[in-house]
Amino acid sequence: MARIVHYINQFFAGVGGEDSAGAGPTLVMGPVGPGRRLAELVAPEHEIVATVWCGDDVAAGLVGEIIALASSVQPDLVAAGPAFTSGRYGLACARVVAAAQAAGLGALASMHEDNPGLDEAGAAPVVASGEVARRMAVSLDRLAAGIRRLLAGEALTAEDGRIGKLARLTVMADASAAQRAVDLALVRLGGDREATEIPLPRFDRVTPAPPVEDVSSALVALVTEGGLVPDDNPGALESARATKWLRYSVEGLDGLAAGEWRSVHGGFSTVWANEDPNRILPLDVARLLEAEGAFAGLFGEYFVTTGNGTSVANARRFGIEWAADLRHSGARAAILTST
Amino acid sequence: MTLTRLVHHVRQVALGEQTTFAQGVLTVSVDEARGILADPALAETRLAWVSPGESARIVKVLDAVEPRTKGPGGGGIFPGFVGPATPQGSGETHVLRGAAVVNAGYLPRAQEALVDLSGPAAALSPLGSSHNLVIEFTPAPDAGWDRVDAALRNGALRLAARLAEAALDAEPDEVEVLPSPSATRTDRPRIGAITNLQTQGSFKDVFLYGRSFGPCFPTLLDPGELDDGAVVSGQFGHPALKNPTYMHQNHPVVNELRRRHGLDLDFAGLVICPEPVDQAGKELISAFAAKLCAAAGFDAAVVTKEGGGNADADMALKMDALADLGIESVALYGEMAGIDGTGPSIVVAPERATAMVSTGNYDHRLQLPRVERVLGGAQLALLGVPAGDAYQIPTAVVYCALSPLGWGRVTARAS
Amino acid sequence: MLLCNLISIAERVGAPRIVPTRGIPYPTGDPSLSPAAERAWRRRLLLRALEALQTAVHEPTVFPMDKQVEEAHV
Repeated sequence: MARIVHYINQFFAGVGGEDSAGAGPTLVMGPVGPGRRLAELVAPEHEIVATVWCGDDVAAGLVGEIIALASSVQPDLVAAGPAFTSGRYGLACARVVAAAQAAGLGALASMHEDNPGLDEAGAAPVVASGEVARRMAVSLDRLAAGIRRLLAGEALTAEDGRIGKLARLTVMADASAAQRAVDLALVRLGGDREATEIPLPRFDRVTPAPPVEDVSSALVALVTEGGLVPDDNPGALESARATKWLRYSVEGLDGLAAGEWRSVHGGFSTVWANEDPNRILPLDVARLLEAEGAFAGLFGEYFVTTGNGTSVANARRFGIEWAADLRHSGARAAILTST
Repeated sequence: MTLTRLVHHVRQVALGEQTTFAQGVLTVSVDEARGILADPALAETRLAWVSPGESARIVKVLDAVEPRTKGPGGGGIFPGFVGPATPQGSGETHVLRGAAVVNAGYLPRAQEALVDLSGPAAALSPLGSSHNLVIEFTPAPDAGWDRVDAALRNGALRLAARLAEAALDAEPDEVEVLPSPSATRTDRPRIGAITNLQTQGSFKDVFLYGRSFGPCFPTLLDPGELDDGAVVSGQFGHPALKNPTYMHQNHPVVNELRRRHGLDLDFAGLVICPEPVDQAGKELISAFAAKLCAAAGFDAAVVTKEGGGNADADMALKMDALADLGIESVALYGEMAGIDGTGPSIVVAPERATAMVSTGNYDHRLQLPRVERVLGGAQLALLGVPAGDAYQIPTAVVYCALSPLGWGRVTARAS
Repeated sequence: MLLCNLISIAERVGAPRIVPTRGIPYPTGDPSLSPAAERAWRRRLLLRALEALQTAVHEPTVFPMDKQVEEAHV
């Protein structure tokens, strides 16, 4: 008999609505709220031994604590949701199952396919729920069915209602890529319009920020992924697969002098950048324009990372951190140079 | 045109008084080899054999070259470097299969590249199963890096030719007769190859007949010219996604097409292209390449690259340009799907063409064991630890692990 | 906003405001120009970037550089 911990939010735990959204994670023994029906559906083979609930406003940032509470009852699997289209709840569910999976536990979340949290489930599976809480019964049916299959050692597919990213698993093929490529060319010439080893990617839609009303009164920042750092690279910025970003002062500098800065970016020949670092970060000209009043002022530091094989997850995080930092400092706009 | 490979299998290697090859044993004279490598830009060179199965690791791997020659003194091999820059690709070429001359050490902008001769990473690199004559070096104090780079390249090519020369009088183990692509249409589908060469200037350049291919337009190349070393790599970035000279000499896609020529397909030809560093250049080169493929009667092209996301753009543009001319294409893409495999795996995908083969996930982690012997450098710069230690690295660091020319069997699939 | 050369990538990942540059290794440079002409071009690039910042967009939008005076190799 497998032991399951069920994660839900403060509302479905019966604690309260928005007024309780700030409540921290709490462990309750046995199933709670919709967990009761879920427990019936997975019985008698499996048991919901405990429930962890947490307020929607804080849950996504308290995943470590949630998993620690869940782990304290030695579960075989963590189930989260159904979160329907609730964004905060869906994000928390996704992160909880991602963490559970990474910790070696079984994991399965349930939410609607449009839930903005879906992309954060990592390698953990997610099954589709209905759109609204009225669809709870059928959503629980599907969640329970998914739990049973996972605990039986089976992988979930689209037929189980699986949604979200499918992780790419590394395997050794029987034939070399060259052989498979020639085979695939023959298959395509034979009329197959679809065969491929890699499906076309889908990227996020980015909502454009509104325009700066009057840039002459704005504080503007220069930022770059060109790997430009002080010559001795004191922050040890990586040449590829960067895991961090750094910040360096440009206060009092009218430009970037050759020899004092260099690019550590491994994705292109840095000869020209090192000859004149203003070719990566245009400080010389930015100062001239600042003096002429084209904008109110230049932010006192620049931010830098290396955009060479950077994971999308890290790149996304850097962007969020840069935006938060600059907004907090009163900057209205950032100019990002890309190599 | 026909190229005949006289293949000699190298089963055992040694260092000795004289450079000889007999009964599968390749012996190299260190004194003679160092004389061949000597150049004012190099204060010193050190040679050692590293063989498959050893508890050994080579780091800071630069280029690798398969020993080949067309006759005494080279006979035209590696035209533009060892031989004069005149067209090659026909006649006889002797090959010492199972051996490689490998430069290893620090060069600027070279990304840390690793080969293990045993353990989980060995099967991921062609050098993991070859006898490697590793050349370590100390630059001369007053030599600029460009000169050091040139000295290493010329030295390795000359040494590779000299080693193969030792087999000139030996009976080959195999004779491979390879015809050129045919212009005549039969009732078999005509499939060709497009090979994109990285051309980004110092330390990230590829040479055709001794000249940088950067400023060039796409051209048809006879596959025999690859066999004779007309394409030489000077590209030291992107360890898993690089194509060393060794791989151009043994081009997996071209060899697969030659193998099946006259069977289930006809090999329509090979087009080589530079990878420009600007969008307008990429678009022009891609349109031009597609025109050449159409003129050569390609029904389909297998497209390869060298490098990372930037080079994906070159492949995507070619696939779409080919689609616009009614030519099918398949491209070999390395994926950058993140540690858990869920990131968007392709940086630039084609829009109108959709057939892609995966050469594996760049970010997939490997746990390497401690090894007894290390060449190329004392530290793994990537992690700042002794190079021979046990550590975890991404597949991205292993030499040719995501081989863009299709050498490897590692791939990624939907879970 | 984004100064970069590989416009297709920038549009594909949804960068809202894009001004094209002249080469991957030198986003705000052009080594084929004399230093003075290069700085003049860099200045025009930045002014175009400021224009882009003040323009409303709803999807990835490329703001091309004005070609006329660029080609003067001083």
